Amino acid sequence: MSSISEAPSAPALPSVRLNANLVEIPASARSDMRVPARVWADEELWRQISRDRTLQQLVNVATLPGIAGSAQAMPDAHEGYGFPVGGVAAFRAGDGVISPGGVGYDINCGVRLLASEVEAAELGRSRLEGIVHDLARSIPSGMGRGSHLRFTAADLDRVLAQGCSYLAERGLALPEDLAVIEAGGALAAADPAGVSQRAKERGGGQLGSLGSGNHFVEVQRVEKIFDLQAAEALGLRTGQVVILIHTGSRGLGHQVCTDYVRAMDAVMLRHGIQLPDRELACAPFESPEGRKYFGAMCAAANFAFSNRQAITYAAREVFRRALGDGGRLHLVYDVAHNMAKLERHGAEDLVVHRKGATRAFGPSHPETPEAYRRIGQPVLIPGSMGTASWVLVGTDAGLGLSFGSTCHGAGRAMSRRAAKKVQGGDEVRKALEERGIVVRCASAGELAEEAPHAYKDVDRVVEVVHQAGLARKVARLVPLGVIKG
Amino acid sequence: MGASWHRWIDHTSEVQLQVGAESFGGLAAEAGRALGLLLLRGVPPEVAGPPRELEVSSADREALLVDWLNEILFVAETERWVPVEFEIRDASPIRLRAAARGVEVEEPPSNVKAATFHGLRVEERDDGLHAEVIFDV
Repeated sequence: MSSISEAPSAPALPSVRLNANLVEIPASARSDMRVPARVWADEELWRQISRDRTLQQLVNVATLPGIAGSAQAMPDAHEGYGFPVGGVAAFRAGDGVISPGGVGYDINCGVRLLASEVEAAELGRSRLEGIVHDLARSIPSGMGRGSHLRFTAADLDRVLAQGCSYLAERGLALPEDLAVIEAGGALAAADPAGVSQRAKERGGGQLGSLGSGNHFVEVQRVEKIFDLQAAEALGLRTGQVVILIHTGSRGLGHQVCTDYVRAMDAVMLRHGIQLPDRELACAPFESPEGRKYFGAMCAAANFAFSNRQAITYAAREVFRRALGDGGRLHLVYDVAHNMAKLERHGAEDLVVHRKGATRAFGPSHPETPEAYRRIGQPVLIPGSMGTASWVLVGTDAGLGLSFGSTCHGAGRAMSRRAAKKVQGGDEVRKALEERGIVVRCASAGELAEEAPHAYKDVDRVVEVVHQAGLARKVARLVPLGVIKG
Repeated sequence: MGASWHRWIDHTSEVQLQVGAESFGGLAAEAGRALGLLLLRGVPPEVAGPPRELEVSSADREALLVDWLNEILFVAETERWVPVEFEIRDASPIRLRAAARGVEVEEPPSNVKAATFHGLRVEERDDGLHAEVIFDV
């Protein structure tokens, strides 16, 4: 027998609004909290975020050993597992923990923006349809779908160790790409030996593929510029065609997380760690288990950077076939939104976990690419399928406010089942096509699950991070064509 | 299958399974069947081919259920074979062994990344064992 039922509602927690865009749950709200929990949200988003168990999950994060400042949720936050999606937590490297569940199963899920030299108006409907069709044909999608590329086991170890640098060696990346990828597309702490054979077996053949769920490639048009100086530095102008790629580390990352949640679950007692939720399984960052996970996670992250790079290569080939020399695509930026990074904040080394949250460093931060030192690190916020996406830049003030972090998307507001009840996949497809958007998605069910009404209003989410000073609006992008994973 | 049952609970972003059975072996079989059907998008499959043995061992009963479901996901993704029928041969609180029958698929047709420990529960009630598992999708 099988059936479906509603989830029970969560109990209320005490909270105080600190300003128009920030609410705090005090550390006294629950006896095991070590720090307060903070939620970046206006009244409407706070109402939406309070509906499910997001706040309870955030409070659970606030109990973890070595947590610094506050546990935070971004305005797109929603209930996840362990950490809420949209969660940010920083742990002191000396006495704090690292948690695979705080990064998530899709390690270094992230977003990459490519800018073309062509205007949407000059592309025309017919060429747009041809490009979207060719992108769908050239970039494998779906959960277990593999790649057109072939890598040996030795090649895969080099991907894990060297990330996009290795892909440049293979001719799959331009030398100038590397400077505009977070961490240069290669995390130095990566340890391929920490990645199990099962993880390599599960995801090794998936390099250059999109995956499923909310992953996508979109052909978009720059609809509006909000900061001309920043847009010029990024090579963006109104009317321009751009490509947004959203995917992660595929089955390899999923298995790395599975392996290490299990491994850490087994050693917590030895480290004297007690948790309100077993999915928060963690180990001291400086312990052998913590360091081993960090090395494996960095290797999976390098795989994800490389995955988006291989998709970039395919997209460049598609545009070259369609537009010849006029089809060049330059990489604007590539940023992760599921990651734990060792970062210097003030006088402390912190292991900053961002799960469904984007790093957003300001102009003065040394890790902001040289080309963007006047404007800040680009922040790419994909909207829900068929709605707007945003380009922002990080601020120096954001470092002190949110550990240099911001939102990662619109954030789900509705379960998949509820979304399907509102509109079926065929209706969603028709609604998008009526707006002139070219849609390529094999599964009507997945189209319905990812429909725009299942998400929060991305413009409102972005307005909160802009008004709060966590990041600054640069450009709003609207979709022309959607390839759904 | 006897008194085994399962149902899916609404969750903002993931997929939550409730499952019940008279024994832990029955619980594992029913949860495995539910996951298999989810991977196949609910289409009742016609199983084919000989049974295959699946085996996992873990620290405790809760972890065993999660590991069991993750093993099914691993097999489905790496071998393009989705198990949906399980004859439990051995079920202790730390070890599960089953003969599984399933269907070969061209591509795993759903989007489940992992079974998680979040909100994980295995508890004895008057009518048998109940469990809850959340999957990352």
